[in-house]
Amino acid sequence: MFSFAVRSFFQKLITLFFISVISFLVVYLAPGEPSQIDPMNPKFTVEDLERFRQEFNLDKPLHMQYYLYYKNLFTGQLKSWKDNQPVLGKIVERFINSLWLFIVGTVITWCLSFPVGIQAAINRGSVFDRSTTFFAYVLISIPSFFFAYMLIIFVVKNFNVPVIGMQTFGMSGAGAFSQVMDRMWHLVLPSVLGALGGIALLSRYVRAQMLEVIHQDYIRTAKAKGLSSDKVYYKHAFRNALLPFVTMFGLILPGLIGGSVIIESIFAWPGMGRMGYEAILARDYPIILTINFIAAVLVLAGTFISDVLYMVVDPRIRL
Amino acid sequence: MSVKDRDIKELSEGLAGEVSRFSEAWGIFSKNKLALSGLAIFIAFFMIAVSGFFLTAGEEPLLDPAKVRLSEKLLRPFTSFDVEMVRPEDRPVFGIYLFGTDDLGRDIFARMMQGAWVSLTVGFVAVGISIAIGIIMGGIAGYYGMYRMKFMHLLCMFIFLASGIMYASAENGGAFIMFMAGTVCLLLSVGYYFFYTRRGADIPVFRFMFFETITADSFIMRFVDIMLCFPTFFLILTVIALLPANIYNIMIVIGLTSWMGTTRFIRAEFLSLREQDFVAAARVMGISDFSIIFRHMIPNAIAPVLVSATIGIAGAILTEAGLSFLGFGVPPPHATWGNVLSDGKRFIFDAPWLTFIPGISILVVVLSFNLFGEGLREALNPKLRKR
Amino acid sequence: MMLVKRILILLPVLIFVLLLQSFFWVPTYDEQAKGNPERLEEFIAASIGDARILNPILHADASSGTIVDKVFEGLIDRDEELRFRGRLAESWDIYEEAYFYVNDVMGPVAGQIEKLIMDAKGQSSYNGSSLGESLQNIKAIEVLPAETQAEELQVSGPAVEDLKPEQITLNISIRSPERIKLTLGRVDQELFENLEELLGKEYFSSFPAEKYIDIVQSGHSGRMAELAQKYLPSVEHNPVIIFNLRKGVKFHDGEEFDSGDVRFTFESVMDVANLSPRMSDFEPVKRLEEAGRYKVRVIYKRLYSPAFGTWGMGILPEHLLNKEALEKEAMAKGEEPGKFGLRDSDFNRKPVGTGPFAFREWKSDQYIMLDRHDDYWEGAANYKNYTYRVVPDLLTQEMEFYGGAIDSYGVQPHQVERLGNDDAYQSFSGLSFGYTYIGYNMRREMFSDKRVRKALGMAIDVDKIIKYVMYNEAERITGPFVKQTDYYDASIVPLPYDPEGALKLLAEAGWKRNGDGRLEKEGKPFAFTLITNGGNDLRKSILAIAQDAWKKIGIDVKTDIVEWTVFLGKHVNTGNFDALILGWSMGIDPDLYQIWHSSQTNPQQLNFVGFENAEADDLIVKIRQEYDYDRQVQYCNKLHNIIADEQPYTFLYVGKWTAVLDKKIVILDRMPSGEEKIAKIEPTRTGNYSFYFNKWVKLSDNPVFDMEQ
Repeated sequence: MFSFAVRSFFQKLITLFFISVISFLVVYLAPGEPSQIDPMNPKFTVEDLERFRQEFNLDKPLHMQYYLYYKNLFTGQLKSWKDNQPVLGKIVERFINSLWLFIVGTVITWCLSFPVGIQAAINRGSVFDRSTTFFAYVLISIPSFFFAYMLIIFVVKNFNVPVIGMQTFGMSGAGAFSQVMDRMWHLVLPSVLGALGGIALLSRYVRAQMLEVIHQDYIRTAKAKGLSSDKVYYKHAFRNALLPFVTMFGLILPGLIGGSVIIESIFAWPGMGRMGYEAILARDYPIILTINFIAAVLVLAGTFISDVLYMVVDPRIRL
Repeated sequence: MSVKDRDIKELSEGLAGEVSRFSEAWGIFSKNKLALSGLAIFIAFFMIAVSGFFLTAGEEPLLDPAKVRLSEKLLRPFTSFDVEMVRPEDRPVFGIYLFGTDDLGRDIFARMMQGAWVSLTVGFVAVGISIAIGIIMGGIAGYYGMYRMKFMHLLCMFIFLASGIMYASAENGGAFIMFMAGTVCLLLSVGYYFFYTRRGADIPVFRFMFFETITADSFIMRFVDIMLCFPTFFLILTVIALLPANIYNIMIVIGLTSWMGTTRFIRAEFLSLREQDFVAAARVMGISDFSIIFRHMIPNAIAPVLVSATIGIAGAILTEAGLSFLGFGVPPPHATWGNVLSDGKRFIFDAPWLTFIPGISILVVVLSFNLFGEGLREALNPKLRKR
Repeated sequence: MMLVKRILILLPVLIFVLLLQSFFWVPTYDEQAKGNPERLEEFIAASIGDARILNPILHADASSGTIVDKVFEGLIDRDEELRFRGRLAESWDIYEEAYFYVNDVMGPVAGQIEKLIMDAKGQSSYNGSSLGESLQNIKAIEVLPAETQAEELQVSGPAVEDLKPEQITLNISIRSPERIKLTLGRVDQELFENLEELLGKEYFSSFPAEKYIDIVQSGHSGRMAELAQKYLPSVEHNPVIIFNLRKGVKFHDGEEFDSGDVRFTFESVMDVANLSPRMSDFEPVKRLEEAGRYKVRVIYKRLYSPAFGTWGMGILPEHLLNKEALEKEAMAKGEEPGKFGLRDSDFNRKPVGTGPFAFREWKSDQYIMLDRHDDYWEGAANYKNYTYRVVPDLLTQEMEFYGGAIDSYGVQPHQVERLGNDDAYQSFSGLSFGYTYIGYNMRREMFSDKRVRKALGMAIDVDKIIKYVMYNEAERITGPFVKQTDYYDASIVPLPYDPEGALKLLAEAGWKRNGDGRLEKEGKPFAFTLITNGGNDLRKSILAIAQDAWKKIGIDVKTDIVEWTVFLGKHVNTGNFDALILGWSMGIDPDLYQIWHSSQTNPQQLNFVGFENAEADDLIVKIRQEYDYDRQVQYCNKLHNIIADEQPYTFLYVGKWTAVLDKKIVILDRMPSGEEKIAKIEPTRTGNYSFYFNKWVKLSDNPVFDMEQ
């Protein structure tokens, strides 16, 4: 177990190194240059641009730039080219903002997927099963921004309340409780929208897993024994169907950064995805690379956790 | 009986099995109403896309998706054109704008027709690329996985890669030197390999070239791990934003970032197929690896690939729409459903049809792909079939 | 029922109930906007992007600019008529100090020259001539003695292939001859031209500067001309600006503003370590002197009239940013003081200035809040708060605006059209300071002919573009000056829309239609690629329209939309394009050197279309050297005519900015008597509707104005 952890850890480190090289090359070799912050401004002279290139180390050979970038990242010296703020500080701030969306989204996903998936599996072929299947696919088939606009317009027109941002603007004077509630309200739409794909996929997965289990012999035996179907399904079957999901806990970590760009942009949510998108637009390489790096770390950490969890819950596995 | 005859016989037996399996699968599939309607829409969409291509392509297409009629902007669906303002050659084909017009007076129907084709192409090509890479990588990992890579393989690969990078960063001199070094290295190893194996001559100095490193399987699978660590949409966005915007880059980038899943299950499929009797028999008969892989193994592994391709096309269409929303979609003159939608959203209060027509079209088509794919999966999954 | 089942079903229900009940705690838009008296006291602007750096000498983006303009104030700015007016400077004087070396080749020694000039000044025979004007302008004359100085300077050695040239130290000695200093009442760019009439032809150009310079190291005679130009320029114009600063102005932290702050701001801009994008603006300054606590003297190296406008840049508080303050901050943060510069300071995220609004809070990508500065020298603003909200999506911005949660947003033309008819809103429009054009790469053979460029312009129906793409929120423009200034010659007629005429012009230039209706010259079809940058819908529309229009007269036009940085890097900066659609946003100052002078056609420079015209070059230089408004206007009109005739661009239109505000926002004047007067917001002549922003106020009901107003 311990040796597995150590070996796995070193493997992940090596993977991380290659990721850092690849992402660095992708960003730095792409055409166009960041120092052209605003070269169309007639006030920017060639010398100005040259000074920026120097400041950003862009005049150095590629391997030096790589070295300097990661050295600065690990010593906390790395600064965004856009506003000269320390990259780590910026990212931590956005990370926390994204974390809220992520937590609520994940809670919704997991709480909803299980009952729906299990019911669908138990009543396979029923109206409930077919309609949830259908809706699950509708949810992952709809372009997310289209759906987001529909929802926003619907809520704003009918309920006349703000939905964008992290809180209602100008609420700082209100009481603490209403502020908390207000923030919660602002979480609802973006986190639900962000969770849609997850709900659809996870509920399908739960259903498949449950189907697998309820056709096993021991379930048949339990039924034959005369146990109530609730007891059979929710006690015996559910427990066993749950196993693979324990390991999935690790794999949801990367979702923190994933596809939240569009939702965060629409909802004016100051999170990681939006910061990444704006960094791409401004060619703020330090931010782009750091986000990529953190995403990779999260993925690797996630797989590591899931491997370990797998070993813990399934005694048959000994890696 | 010659080897070849037997081969053919076996193949035809295999085919017979295929046919019965197909009819069995169809039996399951046709009971699934959702999947059936998915298939129907899939076929309809395919036909629309093809006819869209013929109607909008060429110099003077029947439906011109790029024709600007500024006086006819933001017209509702089913309105007819203004006889005075529109020149005869600019008139819409049916005398009315079926789906209305956009802010430049372009016919949305024509744009949707062209978009159907372009969106489908983006989906097909992107998925084609990802499947092709997936089959090759997965096939190598699954079939030749045990083979240990020699040091020289890695060395050559590294040198050529470095040369490519130098070329990309415009250091042409260095790139050329690296390229030559790589070639020399390659020739040396091939030459040495020749002597080493044929003549038995052993030159100790070069022996390090033959140090066995990692297996091909772990080489490829580690690479898959690396690729899986990138947040896909963010990576696509980064690359698309940094590269010049054109439709090919979008297809290629979507393809290059989505092959890992296919690689994984082709590898798994190959690992199990390798051990099966018919493959072992084929190998004993001395059939070449190439025909084992392409005539015996891939046909047996292709079913799940088809399923994931169907769903992959749906995903690619959605990804393209998302990119369009962020301003990095397929650039003009090509219309896609994604860019019709994201161009139209500015006018949601003035001309809602510009948002709803493409939005709902995307929903319906992507949904049909997904339902079809899901039906296919159930029909082809032997485990589910037994019940 | 099983407990597990119950939990499984109840948990999601509970969570959804919990989440959805929060709805009842959220104030509706009505409660926020209409039912909230405090809301009337704040102005909330929405923006797509966040500010980057809130420092008047460092920022380069529009969002930061908006905030910096509220928090900081420059020495001067422009009034409703776009003339300069004093802010932190109460008043200013401009005069000139001119120098020239006595040219002993030509004969007379210093004393004689002094006498010659003074005598001529007294003579009436020069009256009325330009020499007479120059002479009358001379207020004092002084002879500076000859002197010898030794200099050591670093130069780069000869470049050997790709290697970086070596640095060499050169020792030179300069024995400068006697020099004459003239103090002039006003800046006079023709002074030396006129004086040659008096002193002899080529008196100045024949000054043998190289004779007075010795280079100790041998083998560098090739550098002589360069050194002579540097150390012994035969003539020198030194315009001088004296600013009389306003007394008793306080920074938001209570510290008083004085000449030290001006000097500090200037020095910070010029400090290379700060990487200030304003550095080139202040490069012409020779030195800046504090002449007392409330007086600053700025001496320039050469004639460069646009330099005056640069003093509109906000002034930094020295006491918060000087070396000691930065060192203290570095220590507190645990950073190395040597490496810690102005760029790293927290000041850039919580600025302190002298402007009408003081900084309160900045939440990245959410909002920036400003408070009214009650001690503002011109009287406190009416609004208590100013907030800048970042809402990246235009559609949600629009919805927030309808809800009343923001007061202004990036309204688009088609929305103005709709909202203009709405009783709840007032809409404004006015000409902006930028124009959109199609630029032709004149290095390409097909575009080198003026007739071709003209014909291409005539083939496009610009009025149609304005009507349908811009929803009439634009006007035609014929040249590169700001349309609402006097520099722009309004009498120039724009190109007519005339495809037939265009074909005729093209035929003259040798392009004829072939059997397919395509244009051809000597068997080669007329084909090129028109490009523009991605992310701009208007340009995208124009791209399609231009392609369509040119196709109609038989030109095969391909189009391409390229992402901005690539567009610049691969196409614009390298001159690798045929034609492009782009826009310039202009300053009010008429200096066109970088965009139109023939010396600016190299890669990375802004005259990327390759416009070269000797007459225009001459005028461009004259304009930037002229300090007299009327003369400047004269030169500009002439230049405008040349450019309109040459058509290096097809000048399309100058956009109108549009703005929509709640009708309840009005101008409120508080009379000294305590009486309050309400007026409707009107744009100034130059189209600035927010010129009186400090007097704006939001009423609780729609206002009623008297008919006389």
